[in-house]
Amino acid sequence: MKVILIAKAVLVDITKCIGCGSCSVACKLWNDLEFDDSRPTVGVEAQLNDVNWTAVQRHDVQSKDSPQALWRFVKQQCLHCLEPACASACFSKALQRNDSGAVVYYPDLCVGCRYCMIACPFNIPKYEWKKTFPLVTKCQMCSTKTASGEAPACVSVCPTMALKYGERSALLKEARQLVNTNHLYIKEIYGEYEVGGTSWLYISDVPFEQLGFKTDVGTKPLPSYTHNFLKYTPFLAIGWGMFLTGLSFYTKRRNKITSQKQADDDNKETTSRKSESTEETNNENL
Amino acid sequence: MNSQDKKPGFLSRRNFFKLIGGTGVAGAAAITAGCSKAPAGGTGWLPQQYHTASHWPVQVKGRVPIDISNPSIARDDRKCILCGQCIEVCKNTQTVFGYYDLPLKNDIICTHCGQCAMWCPTAAITERDDVNKVVKALDDKNTFVVVQTAPATRIALGEEFGLSLGSNVEGRQVAALKKLGFDAVFDTGFTADLTIMEEASELIKRLKEKTTLPQFTSCCPGWVKFCEYYYPDFIPHLSTAKSPQQMLGTLTKTYYAEIKGINPNNIISVAIMPCTAKKFEAQRPEMATNRNLRDVDIVLTTREIARLIKMRGLDITTLEEAQYDNLLGESSGAGMIFAATGGVTEAAVRTAHYLATNEPPPEPLLSFTAVRGLKGVKEASIEIPGLGHLNVAVCHGLKNARIILDKLRSGEASWDFIEVMACDGGCIGGGGQPRTALPPSDKVRTSRIAGIYNIDKKDRTRLSYENEEIQLVYKNFLVRPLSDIAEELLHTHYSDRSEHLITKKNYSLNEGDSNS
Repeated sequence: MKVILIAKAVLVDITKCIGCGSCSVACKLWNDLEFDDSRPTVGVEAQLNDVNWTAVQRHDVQSKDSPQALWRFVKQQCLHCLEPACASACFSKALQRNDSGAVVYYPDLCVGCRYCMIACPFNIPKYEWKKTFPLVTKCQMCSTKTASGEAPACVSVCPTMALKYGERSALLKEARQLVNTNHLYIKEIYGEYEVGGTSWLYISDVPFEQLGFKTDVGTKPLPSYTHNFLKYTPFLAIGWGMFLTGLSFYTKRRNKITSQKQADDDNKETTSRKSESTEETNNENL
Repeated sequence: MNSQDKKPGFLSRRNFFKLIGGTGVAGAAAITAGCSKAPAGGTGWLPQQYHTASHWPVQVKGRVPIDISNPSIARDDRKCILCGQCIEVCKNTQTVFGYYDLPLKNDIICTHCGQCAMWCPTAAITERDDVNKVVKALDDKNTFVVVQTAPATRIALGEEFGLSLGSNVEGRQVAALKKLGFDAVFDTGFTADLTIMEEASELIKRLKEKTTLPQFTSCCPGWVKFCEYYYPDFIPHLSTAKSPQQMLGTLTKTYYAEIKGINPNNIISVAIMPCTAKKFEAQRPEMATNRNLRDVDIVLTTREIARLIKMRGLDITTLEEAQYDNLLGESSGAGMIFAATGGVTEAAVRTAHYLATNEPPPEPLLSFTAVRGLKGVKEASIEIPGLGHLNVAVCHGLKNARIILDKLRSGEASWDFIEVMACDGGCIGGGGQPRTALPPSDKVRTSRIAGIYNIDKKDRTRLSYENEEIQLVYKNFLVRPLSDIAEELLHTHYSDRSEHLITKKNYSLNEGDSNS
């Protein structure tokens, strides 16, 4: 696996999100995505889809302190795994993790097999089912914007600083200190270890499983389950090819020798038509 | 021919063409599929302020949260350019956004004032459009559709039709509404006078009993909700009198329906307001006094009624002036000046003077300049025989309300009567008014205020208690101010909303900026 030294990340403080939806508008502006009122980006019904690369979902959480449910807004988008299963599943290299940690989709390389959608533990990649020539879509962590030192579009517009962009190790340190010193937060950072760690980190005052997070994904990177044997695939493929080629040569040569022998035997039997037979054999050899 | 025949196995003509053709097809496929390595996304744009290195903060950014079920305002995401103007006004003029600690509890804090809609440069934020509801009501022949117009709409509606700032289109507005098919057109100025009768009586009662002073005005629903959120300790100080809009709605379905013999169930009560918060107020659960009928069914802002008038091809500038309908249609100059900051105070003081002394107010109270104008916080002290010194304070823009309320809380100051209007300039600068200047300017506010005081100056009567229809409604229906029936129909209660948010404790208001 490729080791990245300066991985960037975004830290999401769920307690600071007010559900204004600035991030989802910025995402649509920057990525030129369609606005669709029937598929909202903010609220109880907000969901990720091919035009919503990010969505702010409202969860009504029952709490002991208050008779009424508390509102918590959870910004969803690709979590940009440190070891992405989607990229591992993609045989045409249309999904690749770049040097800053973003898992980027290259539409020109995509063959449309949608293995990434099956591979992703968070159900992030979406397909443009309505298009004639559909592609897979997902958050790119604004790879072209961050390349020039800027923050991802969503982070740059957040009015409450609920989103923070920076080096993953620094953000982790900050988050760890916050959850350990401020009693408001639960002592957990989602994304620190999940499926081997993700580039989007979340801290919250409400347990993550109550906010729709998948907490049963384990801490082992998904590609590592298959990497130990799938890494032999190229060798196996080439080896198998070579074996079959060899087998082919062997069979062909054996057939040739057999037919030569046959011809020789025939020659002995029909000595009267020797000259014609020789001509035929010569033609065959050509 | 001979030379090709000699070595046909090496590269026949057929194979040569196969090779060239195959390469071509493979090349075309590669080009179509794209050998380019451009990532998806990033083909759009963002406002310039967001193109900075991430470690530099951007001061004006993002937008205010608006709940999808907000009855007053709505936002169209495709028009939002994240310019931050809504935050600018909500936070710095209205002190609503950012004056609660995070996390949120279970409410998107909003006073429904609609100033964000006035500041939004692309009109992504607008009033919640209820025009179609009114169209449907007007088309229904079985309903009796009553409409009322607030004092502030008549000096602003003309701007939607190209008239100069502050033009008074009162009569032409009535004419337009009648042409649209409304069955009766009433003046909210009438119930502004009624509000004054109730509110001034309440003030005198409180002054005599020396309880829960100061008394706050309660005709601004934006201010009322602000008080319920941030200053619940002052809720008992709010006048219990309903706002003029709600009073007129109640009277339409009781007093008017009774006299005219109309089944209140068939009445649709529409209000034309300069205000988006009035939409929220009309939906408050307490605002249904008469057998669970809503006092006011539909509220349209000045902008919406202008759209409806234009939709029907009417040009308000060419219409013949018409009169408001009887029973709920007469208003005094005192009712009219409700539209401007300081107006409620001036109107209340005029009538309080009469109620306390039984004598008409002296000339200075008919031109109470100390409470007029666009100064953020205005104070005055007047002497009313029998009541003594009356200290009044007037403010507009909720930040100025905070200044006054914080002084009251800390005991730095004390007043007897305080008028608060949520919007800068009062109702004339309300969130439902024509978007004549962006952001709203003092020039527009001053012109509209001048228009309002002009009406007051020329009015037949400038005193609420001299309004003949007011005298009639008390004689035939309400008995007297604060009577049992008046308390039942014209007064309301408020709810503490502080449990829906964590109020910010430490903030600093720059008083130097308090003047608008």
